[in-house]
Amino acid sequence: MTNADDILKLSAIAKTFGDKVALKHVDLDVRRGEVHVICGENGAGKSTLMNILAGIHQPTSGTIDLNGKTVAIADPIEASRLGIGMVHQHFALVPSMTVAENVFLGRHIRKWGFFSDKAAMVARTRDLIARYCFGLDPEAVVGTLSVGQRQRVEILKALAFDAKLLILDEPTAVLTPPEVDELIEVIAGLRALGRTVLFITHKLREVKAVSDRVTVIRHGESISTHATGAVSEADIARDMVGRNVFLVGRGKNQAPRTFGAPVLKLNRVSMTNAAGRLLLDNISLDVCEGEIMGIAGVDGNGQTELSEAIAGLMDIQAGSIELRGRTITEASVPDRQRAGMGFVPEDRLDRGLSKTMSVAENLAASNYRRAHLKRGFYVDQDRIEAFAAEKIKEFDVRGAIPDTPVGTLSGGNMQKVVIARELNRDPDLLLVSQPTRGLDVGASEFIYARIMAAADRGRAVLLISSELSEIFALSDRIGVMYSGQLLRIIDRKDADEVTIGALMNGSLEAAA
Amino acid sequence: MIATRLKNSARAMYAPVAAILLTLALGFLLVMAITDDPVRAYRDLLFANFDSLGNFALFLNRATPLTLIALGVIFSFRAGIFNVGGEGQLYAGAITATVIGVTFAGLPAVVLLPLALTGGILAGAFLGWIPGVLKVRFAVDEVVTTLMLNIIVLLFTSYLSNQVIRDTKSYGAVSEMVPDKIWLPALPGVPGATSGIVVAVLLAIATWVVLFRTEWGAQLRASGTNLRFAKAVGIPADRRIIVAMLIAGGFGGLAGVLYVLGIGHRFEQNFSPEYGLVGLTCALLARIHPIGALATAIFYAMMINGSAYMQISTDVPRSLVDLLTGLLVLLMTARLATNKARS
Repeated sequence: MTNADDILKLSAIAKTFGDKVALKHVDLDVRRGEVHVICGENGAGKSTLMNILAGIHQPTSGTIDLNGKTVAIADPIEASRLGIGMVHQHFALVPSMTVAENVFLGRHIRKWGFFSDKAAMVARTRDLIARYCFGLDPEAVVGTLSVGQRQRVEILKALAFDAKLLILDEPTAVLTPPEVDELIEVIAGLRALGRTVLFITHKLREVKAVSDRVTVIRHGESISTHATGAVSEADIARDMVGRNVFLVGRGKNQAPRTFGAPVLKLNRVSMTNAAGRLLLDNISLDVCEGEIMGIAGVDGNGQTELSEAIAGLMDIQAGSIELRGRTITEASVPDRQRAGMGFVPEDRLDRGLSKTMSVAENLAASNYRRAHLKRGFYVDQDRIEAFAAEKIKEFDVRGAIPDTPVGTLSGGNMQKVVIARELNRDPDLLLVSQPTRGLDVGASEFIYARIMAAADRGRAVLLISSELSEIFALSDRIGVMYSGQLLRIIDRKDADEVTIGALMNGSLEAAA
Repeated sequence: MIATRLKNSARAMYAPVAAILLTLALGFLLVMAITDDPVRAYRDLLFANFDSLGNFALFLNRATPLTLIALGVIFSFRAGIFNVGGEGQLYAGAITATVIGVTFAGLPAVVLLPLALTGGILAGAFLGWIPGVLKVRFAVDEVVTTLMLNIIVLLFTSYLSNQVIRDTKSYGAVSEMVPDKIWLPALPGVPGATSGIVVAVLLAIATWVVLFRTEWGAQLRASGTNLRFAKAVGIPADRRIIVAMLIAGGFGGLAGVLYVLGIGHRFEQNFSPEYGLVGLTCALLARIHPIGALATAIFYAMMINGSAYMQISTDVPRSLVDLLTGLLVLLMTARLATNKARS
């Protein structure tokens, strides 16, 4: 039975890779002209499902009906012929070519059957941009565009092929908050023009903002489909995780907490790059025992440089950094670790982990001595494995045994490995940057709990995050970074989203 | 746990072994086109090495430098440095050992042997140190520097062996002999075979232990797989990389020293049938694993040495080996690509 309104209907889709079950049983119906969100935790099978629709994988069993007809999507070319346009998380664009050239890449409009008709392609692209109000210049070189603009070029590519069903795979993972808002507008525009959009995400705020209906997938099964208006974020979160989730942090109305002596002190720290531009501008702050100090701000306003300066990975040109009263301005990274610093970098694949090395080796990396993993020079393989097994259990790292290459884990589980490694030393100062970026609610909740537990043990935490809800959930005090400056530090109880938001945009009235 | 580990290593072996078998099968088709007696040709290529102790000795003499160079390459590759300077490091070690041996021929063996040995190793290590430091300090591409150093060393040794330490009584560009008191003893039971093979096997095991069973080795591999991660967890990655290059060069140098002391007993300008390049291929085929590299080096030595017997007994030219090498590399890389397309 196929509903005439359905553009796409999946029945009992299952997919196994060898003995690994990626999808157990997925039913899905997408109505013509709706924005339908697929929601699920990392590793729930969202990407596998999308790859089946895009023709990259074939389902092991189950049927796909498109416009009421059962189809087999043999490969991506077949998918686009059927009117399915896929926008992947990682863009497939040629940076040195213009927007129009990228849109028509591999299918140039020809003049006399041979020459590329550049003018026609630019004109077609301009029409498309105007129709969907994308605000792009067809002759701009893609390499000069922002991430949000590049994503629109990707969407344009799919639309130029006349995609009736547009699939966006975690499109907001790479975007800044204002770009997310723009994307949500773009999607609303597409819906108004009668396109059907299938949107994959695990961010609840986006589900509510963008969709008509939402289907939740958990452990490879479709759990529920609801009209978005009829469910709350908490309902969706419960379906995703399979239990009630309280992603609340401390909140505003907690009892006043007392803090100990200052652990980290930054005194008029400044950093300039080789070209002489100020990256950190005269930053002073301190974090005390038992306190979580949150640093909010739009990405790219000096947060990366601040964390690398404190961690000892970038040199500062002026000012001083003290840890527990000891000046560490010039100290090496291992010296800072010994002095009591733990560092969770903002990008786990960049600085946090070596993805080809095993979970055990990533956990051991800075813990050989402390966790007694060596006998003389010789590394004790049994101890390493026992240590890793213990951490895997303690931090609930799913899908991992000690030998697993860490890169095969999902983002949330990778992040747990980083946190487990850094917390093993029980550092006096925990420097955490974007701790839950790209993580689902279940993993975020777990990591929040660990950060708060560290503070409750009397450790100082410096939390850098561009996720405002995270800053508000965890911090005792909140500072805002804007273009290399630390604008103002506000107590949590006096802070509200309007003030912090204004500071993040650099509105100095609020700072005054 | 041990069962899964065995299973994993069996799985890791599967691909190279399959590639080797397929290469040999395809090569057999070629040989069939050339000669009336392809079975004979293939038998000689692979098994003539074991026909006599003499053949076997020559085969071991090929395997020794290949293994050592492959091990050096493994150290540098594990540290993330694409070191293609094996040939230059080999020559540097060989010429230094020869020059020391010839110049200080009067010294007693207990002094001269360690002197030649350390001299040759240090010369190779120095040649690895240059690209290592240039890479770490100034981000100079190591492929360019190691390749160029190869040429410098090859031409310089050519000058030395032709002009400075040439044995004028011999034919060709060869140096005078090093005194026989510092010649390495033959492998017991195999006259003519260098005992250097024992050193090579022991070092293969030592390399595995150092890389996979010490913190230092884990730090080196971390620096090689993700430099920015290594620095963030407090590993002195720059130092690890430079030391890895010192060791890589030292292994190449040692290969040269052992060749001179154990096999050639003098420096010959053309003593290496591209050991540097073949050693690199061995390391890559073994997925830069030291024990695997010992196996691939032995396989290559079998082919290189066996091709001579094949050429004598049939009319298949020994350059068949070059062809098989090309095929093998092709098959290995082709396999990698299909894997990527599937995942």
